[in-house]
Amino acid sequence: MAGIFDFVPAIVLLPFVSFLVALAVGNRMPKGGAFAGIVATAGSFLLSLATFFTVSQGQTYNQTIYTWAQGLDGAVTLEFGLLIDPLSALMLVIVTLIALLVHIFSLGYMNDEGETGLPRYYAGLGLFTASMLGFVVADNLLMAFMFFELVGLCSYLLIGFWFREPGPPSAAKKAFLVTRFGDYFFLVGVVAVFATFGTAAFAGSESFPHLAEQALAGETSVNTFGFAAETWFTIVGLLVLGGVVGKSAQFPLHTWLPDAMEGPTPVSALIHAATMVAAGVYLVARMYGFYALSPTALAIIALIGGFTALFAATMGVVKREIKQVLAYSTISQYGYMMLGLGGGGYVAATFHLMTHAFFKALLFLGAGSVIIAMHHNENMWDMGGLKEKMPVTYYTFLSGSLALAGIFPFAGFWSKDEVLYETLIHGLGGSPILLVAYAMGLLAVFFTGFYTFRMVFLTFHGKPRSQTARDPHGVRWNVKGPLAVLGVLAATTGVVNMVPVEKLLGIKGIDFLHQWLDMSLDGLTAHHYAELTPYSSAYIGGEATTVAIGAAVSLGLAIAGAGLAYVLYNVPEPTEHTDKLGGIKTLLYNNYYQDEYQVWLANSVVRPISRGADKFDQGVVDGVVNGVSSVSLFSGSRVRRIQTGVVSNYAALLTLGLTVLLLGFGLLGGWFQ
Amino acid sequence: MVPPEYYLVLSAAIFCIGLFGILTRRNALLFLMSVELMLNAANINLVAFSYVWGNVTGQTFALFTMALAAAEVAIGLGIIMVLYRNFGGVDVTDATTMRW
Repeated sequence: MAGIFDFVPAIVLLPFVSFLVALAVGNRMPKGGAFAGIVATAGSFLLSLATFFTVSQGQTYNQTIYTWAQGLDGAVTLEFGLLIDPLSALMLVIVTLIALLVHIFSLGYMNDEGETGLPRYYAGLGLFTASMLGFVVADNLLMAFMFFELVGLCSYLLIGFWFREPGPPSAAKKAFLVTRFGDYFFLVGVVAVFATFGTAAFAGSESFPHLAEQALAGETSVNTFGFAAETWFTIVGLLVLGGVVGKSAQFPLHTWLPDAMEGPTPVSALIHAATMVAAGVYLVARMYGFYALSPTALAIIALIGGFTALFAATMGVVKREIKQVLAYSTISQYGYMMLGLGGGGYVAATFHLMTHAFFKALLFLGAGSVIIAMHHNENMWDMGGLKEKMPVTYYTFLSGSLALAGIFPFAGFWSKDEVLYETLIHGLGGSPILLVAYAMGLLAVFFTGFYTFRMVFLTFHGKPRSQTARDPHGVRWNVKGPLAVLGVLAATTGVVNMVPVEKLLGIKGIDFLHQWLDMSLDGLTAHHYAELTPYSSAYIGGEATTVAIGAAVSLGLAIAGAGLAYVLYNVPEPTEHTDKLGGIKTLLYNNYYQDEYQVWLANSVVRPISRGADKFDQGVVDGVVNGVSSVSLFSGSRVRRIQTGVVSNYAALLTLGLTVLLLGFGLLGGWFQ
Repeated sequence: MVPPEYYLVLSAAIFCIGLFGILTRRNALLFLMSVELMLNAANINLVAFSYVWGNVTGQTFALFTMALAAAEVAIGLGIIMVLYRNFGGVDVTDATTMRW
């Protein structure tokens, strides 16, 4: 059947072609290959939209397109395939849209600022987009892993774009190593999935979530290596989760993300909104049918998420650089998504992934616009009063900030509220651990409101605090255009899933995202996931009351945080009120000494272990090898002395040998008896 | 008829004389002669057994061996010529360049 699905590979390949074009002939193209990237991502975006509409008519697609290792006699088969269902179609649209806007924004941020090495930059963006799109459409875990790694590689290349300065290369290395550490567990998890189920497909009756479900129901048996099936599935799930924690910057592997701010700002927008960091959460959503089978894994995901949300939000409160605040808000927001997934709110987490993609891309591009205006000074204490100078940036940034803080009716309110609501009702239904995670998530709402508006007020309100802020650099259409698109989206995407309105006013059928995600393949629908999760729901008073209370509490906390920021910072000459926190500020400013403790861990624990391993390697393993060779060398140097060069000696040896041989045969053959 | 043991003793004696020559002499020409002796000792054996068993195969082989010996002498003399040119003599203990 020829249809739009035949063109899905092109969605992935177009940005890849732009990567090749920018790499090969970028130098000879106007704008350093930017147009190739824009055309390619625009093409991908249009194809994604077409795919999206096809999927919205109820069609899905799950097809192997290339088998690169055929398994014989029951061995595993390794394949590339496409899985287009509502989740991946939605993600395709988000990723291609944001990649397109980032490419356009880069014209303003990189080209207009006279950067060099632009072909390298656009090649990196193209490959980054292509790898993320490949990851999104992957139909099996191994393919997902390969593109996951490519995403990591591209983040390395782009974070370290300004490699002549000391900071970026080091940040790039850190990002690569920290996420690689998580990916190591992911790789072991992939192998474990193959060893257990013999397949790594995400969807279908032969997929590993389905097999796991049947194994738990006793309908089929899989190799669980001597563990109880559920224990083993938890172990495998947690191994894969290692990669998720690294890529989605969850505690304790979040440390790379704030450093990644060293990269160009459009890259930060791409990393945080659509590609790298989203990959982790998307992976959990992709194989949610597997995680839903293990209450332990879900509880751990929820706890990590809730804790990260609070932990990162507190650090965002004291930062001075605008991008640092945004970095910690990203970590915190991805914590919410993990909380939602762990708390049984698959749709809520996907919803938050989507709204966050829009408002975080918006905030980063807005911050990029501010940074252009401020001549690449990122310190918020040098800004102030930019509201009048750059109204487009201000109003779009404000829209993104309201969404981030979760203020009604912006997009972030709906998604964050639903995440918290799902966690709350499932926690009340007999999972006290979820209530702990919920409490942390709720507390983080307050901090989010505070740091978001501290950032807004310091940047745009008050009086200019430096010469550049009094006379900022102007920005062009290529910056304002993407901002406007995202600003509208950040304000309005909430309407796709107004569950609180539905529950409170009793209007049926406006939970479009729920319906959308229910149109998936068998076994991948939101309903099916809800049946699989071990949670039951309970309400305070009644469903509508619980919704109202939950929404009121989180909105109240967000407004309280924003209000506190308003009181403290919306003055002509703000002072550093966080100084009053004293030692706590130092602790927060140093990120709870997470970097120091990880460096200590590397230096005092890992280094001695590796030194011991090195000794073992050099001494024992190499010793045996070297010993064998020196024995051969020594005996060779002795034996070669019979090579005298004198023919008589050889003749004598021949005679002697023959005699010995004859005597030997004689003795063995018994001639002399 | 002469008993075959006599032939065997004769052949063993000639072989030992040839071997002795190879092991003790240093002159390459004497080497060549000693090798001839050893070959002919083998020939005597072949002919003797052929005579004892009444089978001519052994004698055929003896003819082959003689042809082979002629060829061998041709090569051997050639080697001795080269030896003389390169080392100024036919002493085999001088030509020890191919050693460790």
